[in-house]
Amino acid sequence: MVPAAKLTLGPVLYNWPAEVKRDFYFRIADEAAVDVVYLGEVVCSKRSSFFEPYVPEVSERLARAGKEVVHSTLALIMNEREMEAVRALTAAPDLRVEANDISGAALLAGRPHVIGPFVNVYNEGTLEVLVRGGADRVVLPCELPAGSLEVLGRAAGNAELEIQVFGRLPLALSARCYHARAHDLHKDGCRYVCEEDPDGMALETLEGDGFLAVNGTQTLSHSLCCLLRELEALRDLGIGCFRLWPQSVDMVAVAGIFRGVLDGRDDAAEAEARLGELADIAPFSNGFYHGREGADLVAGGTFSPVG
Amino acid sequence: MTNEPNRGTPSLSPVLLAGFALRPLPLVLLQPALDLAMSLMRRRHSDVFERLDALENASFLIDPVDLPFCFTLRLGPAAPRLWAVGTGGDMESPSAVLRGPLLVLIRLLEGRMDGDAAFFSRDLAVEGDMEAVLTLRNAVDSGGIDLAEDLLSLFGPMNGPARRALGVAEALFARAERDLESVRAAFVASVEGRCDAQTARLRDLEDDLADLRTRMPRANAAGKRAAKPGAARL
Amino acid sequence: MSGTPLELVCPAGTPGALRAAVDAGADVVYLGFRDETNARNFPGLNFSRPELRDGLAYAHERGCRIYVAVNTFAAAGNPDPWHRAVDDAAELGADALILADIGLLDYARRRHPETRRHLSVQASASNPTAIAYYHEAFGVQRVVLPRVLTVTEIARLNAQIPVETEVFAFGGMCVMAEGRCVLSAYATGRSPNMNGVCSPASHVRYEQLGGRMVSRLGRFTINQFPDGEPAGYPTLCKGRFVAGGCAGYLFEEPTSLDASTVLPELMAAGVRALKIEGRQRGRAYIAEVVAAFRRAVDAAARGDPVPPLGLGGMTEGLRETTGAYAKTWR
Repeated sequence: MVPAAKLTLGPVLYNWPAEVKRDFYFRIADEAAVDVVYLGEVVCSKRSSFFEPYVPEVSERLARAGKEVVHSTLALIMNEREMEAVRALTAAPDLRVEANDISGAALLAGRPHVIGPFVNVYNEGTLEVLVRGGADRVVLPCELPAGSLEVLGRAAGNAELEIQVFGRLPLALSARCYHARAHDLHKDGCRYVCEEDPDGMALETLEGDGFLAVNGTQTLSHSLCCLLRELEALRDLGIGCFRLWPQSVDMVAVAGIFRGVLDGRDDAAEAEARLGELADIAPFSNGFYHGREGADLVAGGTFSPVG
Repeated sequence: MTNEPNRGTPSLSPVLLAGFALRPLPLVLLQPALDLAMSLMRRRHSDVFERLDALENASFLIDPVDLPFCFTLRLGPAAPRLWAVGTGGDMESPSAVLRGPLLVLIRLLEGRMDGDAAFFSRDLAVEGDMEAVLTLRNAVDSGGIDLAEDLLSLFGPMNGPARRALGVAEALFARAERDLESVRAAFVASVEGRCDAQTARLRDLEDDLADLRTRMPRANAAGKRAAKPGAARL
Repeated sequence: MSGTPLELVCPAGTPGALRAAVDAGADVVYLGFRDETNARNFPGLNFSRPELRDGLAYAHERGCRIYVAVNTFAAAGNPDPWHRAVDDAAELGADALILADIGLLDYARRRHPETRRHLSVQASASNPTAIAYYHEAFGVQRVVLPRVLTVTEIARLNAQIPVETEVFAFGGMCVMAEGRCVLSAYATGRSPNMNGVCSPASHVRYEQLGGRMVSRLGRFTINQFPDGEPAGYPTLCKGRFVAGGCAGYLFEEPTSLDASTVLPELMAAGVRALKIEGRQRGRAYIAEVVAAFRRAVDAAARGDPVPPLGLGGMTEGLRETTGAYAKTWR
């Protein structure tokens, strides 16, 4: 029997004000139909300190609501201070941690942990090595097509596999801050301008087409990945956890829509229409799953490009 | 990238001036030389053509902007062919177009200039199927093509009676190589000098090679044109 | 100061380029097989097995080594091409394998323990803990550092790790952390990690529109160059985009890395080898850039000032940068 599917909420990737984030998580704890919540700053270490004071309070409230709380590490670790933060997180014996860099996985070796989507797991050979090292859940990179997911689903053994089913696609990381650069600032004196864009800064082509979104040192897609119609197939491929990336839309309602389809209560196509009204900041895409351009939207076997 | 406007107004160059001299020449007369050059290239650079195998049915319009005509190169299951065409580029929708001064195209063919650098500086313009362009570029660059040496190889099957005359032939070969190099160099020299040098060198070549009973007019034509097939391959 | 010259690791996409690099003074030539197992899987480029055999002979006769890059991530359910690439390179006598995929590193360690393993930049190992992991788990002896670190960070890193480091010195520059970027796949369906290509030629179109050259990748416009302006690759991260109503190079201008001015600092930082990017470039580039860096590396080793290299004509957008080596780049 296939174990019950888990709905997960990835860490907030954007620089939301700490109090906004705290209230967001309180509401998630109280109302959202998610099983797992990931907390922590993944993108920019300069932001980390803002939310840290609220973490104990937020994680306690989430745990009390029955959510599994996972602490996510930074993805790109370049200096001693950042390394120290990862060391501190992984040293706490009772914390469940998601490693978003191989260094985190190395520090967590020998005890159960999650491998995050910023560690490159493309094949069964790599999956096997990481599971041997203690990973009991692996969040796969967003570009993997169904064929790869199927192979990994068979190879995962007792480890859970998780993939993103909602939200902007995390496409790239850099040492350079593009938010600062767009504002003629340096990363060191960035004035945290990324806070102005709760879903990232829109980046259009010279012809005015929506293309990407900039989140500090991270680049995401303009389109919102949506795999509502693929959920059933994904479960058959052996994927057990489905990640929603927080966007500045009603995430409680988004979770409710996915829950309804996962539980077999709601029709996927109809749910997708409702989601489209709720999350109208950008068009949907699902191309990666279908082995195409990530920006594409494949609908019912037919292909229609999105802007 | 050079585009239509630039096609119409190439910069003044010896090649351009030479082109005026070639203008009255019916393009069909070039064909035997082009065919010969292509079969020579295939013989001497099979590795280059092996790399081109990936291009199933690609066609290129190669446009030396300072010549009054272009070349088309067609690759496919049959032997690759090169044609000279008018500057209207009568070719029905080529896979890609490459435009640039003839000397740039030749330098690219011979691997003496980096294609990317030529593109960055916009000396080379490309349009169309970039995968085809890259395949062509990479294949050509792999090969160590040297136009003078390749063309002179036409004169040098060192077998049969020629073997007895090997010593003589080697001397002649060296001389011809030098001469052809002069012809090539003359392209960049001033136009008057070029014409004189070319006339003189070609006469020398003619004399030298008559001894070897090579078919002089064809070979000579190839010597002059090979530049273009070359350019083509760029 | 003076010291041991930095090892000069040079690219080759064809046998012609390999000979050009060896002849121009490369200590090492790195290359890949003609398929998706390496990160420069470009049409018409790279080496067959017999070409590698010949290349090894040519290089070894002249005291030059060959590293083989098998630095993409093996496809799930089809690891054979990657395993064969590792097997063939090891059996033909490659001096090192350049690998990024954890599964493949594991395979190489088990099957060919005697063949040196280097960690590709595609593995994005940017800190001592990550590097120590690759060393301990897979016996990696050298790491090619991501182009995200400053010289100061590199010096600190070298003091903490048990392996050699190799850094990029010249050529095309990823502004994103290598191996952690799927921008290309988003626009074209083909990615560096899975297909060994970034912004692949098959999806590139140039169009002449009025007085501008427009470059497109897939269905997205990447740039427009007015006539006469130096051009760049239609690589996504070097494109011109609009943010907040302003059009510009949001990520990076078309530019090439040139670290020649910081060679003495890189030596002092404990770096072992310098890498020149450009397996996709022509023989002319290889010959010129390798010869220039040979002079630079030797000058730096003698403690002499590094002479200007004069490589401006080889660079993208005809511009150079020291990139992430200077903190202001961020």
